[in-house]
Amino acid sequence: MNLELIKYALLNVRKRKLRSGLTVLSILIGVTAIYALVSFGVGLQNYVDVIAEQAGVDKIFLQARGIGAPGTDPNFFISKDDVEFVEKINGVQEISGLYMKTSEVKKDRQIKFVFGTGIDPDKWEFIEESFTAGVEKGRALKKGDIDKAVLGYNYQLENKIFRKPVSLGEKLEINGRKFEVVGFFEEIGNPQDDSNIYFTYGAIEDMFPEVKDKFGWAMVKANRNTEPRALAESIQEKLRKHKGQEEGKEDFFVQTFEDALQTFTNIITVLNGVLVLIALISVIVAAVNTTNTMYTAVLERTKEIGVMKAVGARNSSILHIYVVESGIVGLIGGIMGVLLGFAISSIGGAIAVQAGFSFLKPAFPIWLTSGSILFAFTVGAISGVLPAIRASKLRPVDALRYE
Amino acid sequence: MAILDFFSYSIENLRHRKLRSWLTMIGIFIGIAAVVALIGLGEGLRGAITGQFGFLGPDVLAVQASGLNFAGPPGQAVVNPLTKDLTEKIKSIPGVDIAVNRYIETGAFEFNDIQDIVFAWNVPENKERSKFEKMLNLKVSQGRLLKDGDKFKVVLGNSFTDEDRFGKPIQVGNNIIFEGKQFEVVGILEKKGSFIFDTAVIMNEDVLISEFKDDDSVNAIAIKVNDLKSIGNVKRNVEELLRKERGVKEGEEDFTVQSPESALESLDDVLFGVQLFISIIAFISLVVGGIGITNTMYTAVLERTKEIGIMKSIGARNSSIFTLFFMESGFLGFVGGLIGVAIGVALANLFAFAGRQALGSDLIKADVSLALVFGSLLFSVIVGLIAGTVPAYHASKKNPVDALRYK
Repeated sequence: MNLELIKYALLNVRKRKLRSGLTVLSILIGVTAIYALVSFGVGLQNYVDVIAEQAGVDKIFLQARGIGAPGTDPNFFISKDDVEFVEKINGVQEISGLYMKTSEVKKDRQIKFVFGTGIDPDKWEFIEESFTAGVEKGRALKKGDIDKAVLGYNYQLENKIFRKPVSLGEKLEINGRKFEVVGFFEEIGNPQDDSNIYFTYGAIEDMFPEVKDKFGWAMVKANRNTEPRALAESIQEKLRKHKGQEEGKEDFFVQTFEDALQTFTNIITVLNGVLVLIALISVIVAAVNTTNTMYTAVLERTKEIGVMKAVGARNSSILHIYVVESGIVGLIGGIMGVLLGFAISSIGGAIAVQAGFSFLKPAFPIWLTSGSILFAFTVGAISGVLPAIRASKLRPVDALRYE
Repeated sequence: MAILDFFSYSIENLRHRKLRSWLTMIGIFIGIAAVVALIGLGEGLRGAITGQFGFLGPDVLAVQASGLNFAGPPGQAVVNPLTKDLTEKIKSIPGVDIAVNRYIETGAFEFNDIQDIVFAWNVPENKERSKFEKMLNLKVSQGRLLKDGDKFKVVLGNSFTDEDRFGKPIQVGNNIIFEGKQFEVVGILEKKGSFIFDTAVIMNEDVLISEFKDDDSVNAIAIKVNDLKSIGNVKRNVEELLRKERGVKEGEEDFTVQSPESALESLDDVLFGVQLFISIIAFISLVVGGIGITNTMYTAVLERTKEIGIMKSIGARNSSIFTLFFMESGFLGFVGGLIGVAIGVALANLFAFAGRQALGSDLIKADVSLALVFGSLLFSVIVGLIAGTVPAYHASKKNPVDALRYK
């Protein structure tokens, strides 16, 4: 019986090709939009998970408060004394302060402003581990590299930062001084990080003597046996006492890498959720369209329903016929929507990578694909319920008489 | 057939198939409501955000050193800051009414044993004071503005009177601590709706410099010109002066001289892009609604095949049949749009209200312009008409003999 039901439904869908086609179209549009949006959301979450895994959950940020981007407010900073104090706290395995200075880079009369990061050359490996990225070409900075710099990935590309790519060994004018490029970082995946410039402590202190020992922020690594969140709290409390500040009046804050990442993912998830909700509106409209189509189908086939009932079909059978028919319309829309969504996301992802946003990479887990198709089927079936009830309640005598 | 007959015939038919017409219109009005509500909210939000910055007149120029502009307050994330001696030189350029140093200092603010990080900016002294106050349209809601010689006195932005910020509202006569120094509050500014005023601590220039600055750098220089017509000339002269003073070549400037409004353009572009993307997603539902109309119209044509046959056999022209169905479908769009706009306007205001309550931010506003209302209405009619074109064309091309025979 079940198979026959589906056959009958398919037959009816095919008989009214145009009308079914338009209904399928309206469902597939909504499913496409939702599938594409969610695939980007999932992809971003995957990206964040990979970073969290590679950088390790044992990292903690020590940041100054202040206004503007982290590390740019000259009145709030993490001092060398703070770093040395935190280094001695029980549970801290390693700590390194980083300078943050806006820098002006010049090449062939083109001027760009980017973030310059001052790194302790002795802690280079620790920093690479924390950034989950290392020097890909050339070499890392060494102590005494006062006129040498390592550049972000994007400097090697044409028409990205400068019209012409920068090559290894080239001398660039940075903040009015000549720097030799000795290395390039591997791709991090967002235009801001990939345009950073890395200096030694010595180079930053030489260019900007006023910031000596005033770091923008510091990266901390917890001991293997220490719970990072507990360590973060202990750093917060001990440093506060060390600096003689009252609780709630600290000029710094401590956050685990995991919590910072979570804040970021939460924002992305909420934004993505809003977009999906807006896209969902089109599915609601599609459901209304489907209901409409099914009402029309019931009307057209009134006589047929009468005949079926006259030869003994039960109300429930009639109900099933129409719900299944409308579910199938949804199912077809869902399958086509997933295919189209897959194509659109893949193209969109490729464009994002081209634009330097390689963290915007869609992912297509099975649950998303099967879920979207199931969702479309359910929406279709639910849209058919009201028309199906009307069909099942038709009186055979009236229905047979209907012209 | 008169145009009125077309109308009454369409309405008659729509009323005849009440359920189907309603369902079709629901499709359109959901889409229109979504588009109107989202565009309305987006416009309001965009206006509110750019309004945070766009409070200066067109006769003002802002000089800033180049750097990462959105990384913090002006002059914070720059490489080579401006210096205050430049301001004196700018003053002697013909056409400049006033040129004032803008200092922005961040610091810890304390009141009622609660601390927050805020920023302070300066008001110039002597005869520039009144011109500057006029330029920014500074007015107090309590107390008074600063005057020369007001040492350790401040005027605060209106948000400092919020009860939940420092436990109790700050009032004129209270003492506050900024970066460890005690100040007396002599005035509270009127609420401006821009964080640059509402969250600011305002002090005299000499106090700010002597207490908190240890170099000659300034965050920005504000210039007001005598005559709006000469602003282009003044801009060129200032640029030339700065190139000479800072030793940079034309085309390699490490500073910008801009009217604040043009500086806002790039921010506005970004916001507009976001708004456009959201509108496109909302727009999808309207397309789906349009498909619903096409479907309904095809069904209508099919049902009324015999009727079409009769009309044709008694002399109706193809164009009349086309117009009949075309208008009916436009009508579906129009009524759907009408209901949709009404719901959309209500939703936009409801969301804005709920957002303000939930987030406590005055930034969330709905701005449904007349252009948006009429544009949406017109658009829904167009969607209806486009959706009906193909079905109406099919109806008009039916062969009368076949149509009459149709069961």
